[in-house]
Amino acid sequence: MNHNAWLAALTGELRRHGVGPDLTGHVVAEAATHLAKSGESPLRVFGPPDAYARAVADSLGGPDVRPPRRHPGPVRLAARGITKRYRGRTVLDRVDLTVRAGEIAAVVGANGAGKSTFLRICAGLLSPDAGTVAVHGTLGYCPQDGGTAEFLNPDEHFVLIGAGRGLGRAAARRAGRAGAAALEWTPPPRTQARHLSGGTRQKLNLVLARLGEPDVLLLDEPYQGFDRGTYLDFWHEVWRWRDAGKAVVVVTHLLNQLDRVDTVLDLTASRERDA
Amino acid sequence: MTRILVVAETALRELVRRRTVLIILLLFPLAFYLSRRGDHLGQSIRFVCLGLGWALSTAALFAGSAARGIEPRLRLSGYGSLHLVLGRLLALWTVGVLLSAPYFLLILVDQHDVRYGAIALVMALTVLVAVPFGLLLSAVLPRELEGTLVLLTVVGLQMVMDPASTATRALPFWFSREIGTYAIDHTDGGYLTRGLVQGLSFAVALTLLVAVAAAVRLRQRRHLRFA
Amino acid sequence: MNQERRAQWLRGVLDLCVLALLSRGESYGYELSQALRAHGLGTVQGGTLYPVLLRLQRSGLLTAHWREGETGPARKYYRISPAGSAALRAAAIDWSAFAASVGAILSEEPKR
Repeated sequence: MNHNAWLAALTGELRRHGVGPDLTGHVVAEAATHLAKSGESPLRVFGPPDAYARAVADSLGGPDVRPPRRHPGPVRLAARGITKRYRGRTVLDRVDLTVRAGEIAAVVGANGAGKSTFLRICAGLLSPDAGTVAVHGTLGYCPQDGGTAEFLNPDEHFVLIGAGRGLGRAAARRAGRAGAAALEWTPPPRTQARHLSGGTRQKLNLVLARLGEPDVLLLDEPYQGFDRGTYLDFWHEVWRWRDAGKAVVVVTHLLNQLDRVDTVLDLTASRERDA
Repeated sequence: MTRILVVAETALRELVRRRTVLIILLLFPLAFYLSRRGDHLGQSIRFVCLGLGWALSTAALFAGSAARGIEPRLRLSGYGSLHLVLGRLLALWTVGVLLSAPYFLLILVDQHDVRYGAIALVMALTVLVAVPFGLLLSAVLPRELEGTLVLLTVVGLQMVMDPASTATRALPFWFSREIGTYAIDHTDGGYLTRGLVQGLSFAVALTLLVAVAAAVRLRQRRHLRFA
Repeated sequence: MNQERRAQWLRGVLDLCVLALLSRGESYGYELSQALRAHGLGTVQGGTLYPVLLRLQRSGLLTAHWREGETGPARKYYRISPAGSAALRAAAIDWSAFAASVGAILSEEPKR
């Protein structure tokens, strides 16, 4: 591995490990200086890029402090009094959620707490027994599974969904491939969705939800089957979308990311409170 | 228009990739044809048309069921339910025409003293009716197995019931035997007219029902407002 | 010397050695690694050294700034902070006591 390739890999790995862009620049520049001076192989001096990135991240002792965010924008999604009953059991009881442009909302709760149901209601795929949802702008939805066509390859998915959003073939393919690259994924040109691994299919799913840059993104545990690196990439993408002024709703049962979202809707709590 | 064409193209690609299904689809009517080829030439024509209808409705049934998962997402991505229905109909009708063409040629070569034009008409109507019939079954019955059983019943009845009885007119492929008789046994034009009216009515009604079923299933829910 | 053992010992005291070297004047990564070698501590690879520098900087014991070198690319220079000097003084006393205890045990004459 030559210097430049190693440094490029290091840049990516630092980003994956949650090191902010400024510090990443410093660490990479410092390593470059050292390598230029010593003339030794980077693998010998620093080891593999991911291991070194981990050492750097560990030495920081906690996540990078993010710069204070801009003021959130106008309301993009407003769910009011959402109530849903299944066979006499109240799954959702007068649930409210407001998400503004430039905000991330996490929907959490135990299995069966109605997280997916709530998201499907927000997406308009399911009718609630009571309550309304107002969406200002366009909507993108990433289901927990399904949502892809078994016999189509990724490019054909991009064209199909893109056409709905008014994108031409070439533009849809470009947008899809760019979205995939952000998740460190190069869609194989001829592989049909049924031959993709579970995690890869979810990447496709996520890229499809983002196609055409919708204003509101509803993501239902989209990271199932992701390895750790991709999982970190996913959250970085979510933060990037937020910084681009999108409103993002993520269903999650992993609580370690909650310090980095703006709103937490705990459905377990809401039901127990009223029980 | 672009959206309809993209849906049609996608549906065709999906169908073409199911090679085994495609081969069975292609050979299925042939088996029907050959089964009666020995004893009664005319009967083999009636059978091949029914076989075509059966094969095509089954293909439509499965295509419709396979699309159920992704259709809500497509609706959400800016497609209208009509885009989805028309695109899929277009794709399956195309398949139907391509599937019928070799059988028409076969009859042209193999059979004599029949009204070829009327046979072409039977095949065209079969394609027009079979596709929305299969799609409608997939829309009404959530599981493929149930749809397949209904198809089996309908085509079975069509074969055993006396076409002269009024009740059989309620079966979607009744026109096939009626116009078939006109084509093979050179009966009067009444057979042609009755068959044509029944076939066209079914084609129009089934197509409308498919569109309505999709519009209902993929409707914009009342609780959701876009501003 | 046994390489593995030396690496083990070094892990415990590398931050102190870095602080001590920097208490004599500012320096940058590569120069520090050369100085450590010159002091007989062997080769300390960048993969070990820079995370230590980063941690010291984060905890406020070092300050850092970038400066153009006379030749080659810009370098990140480290300087010890007042807090770093205080920490170094305290740790140096602790280390002497610790090293003396270890030395005493190792040099004790075996009893007959």
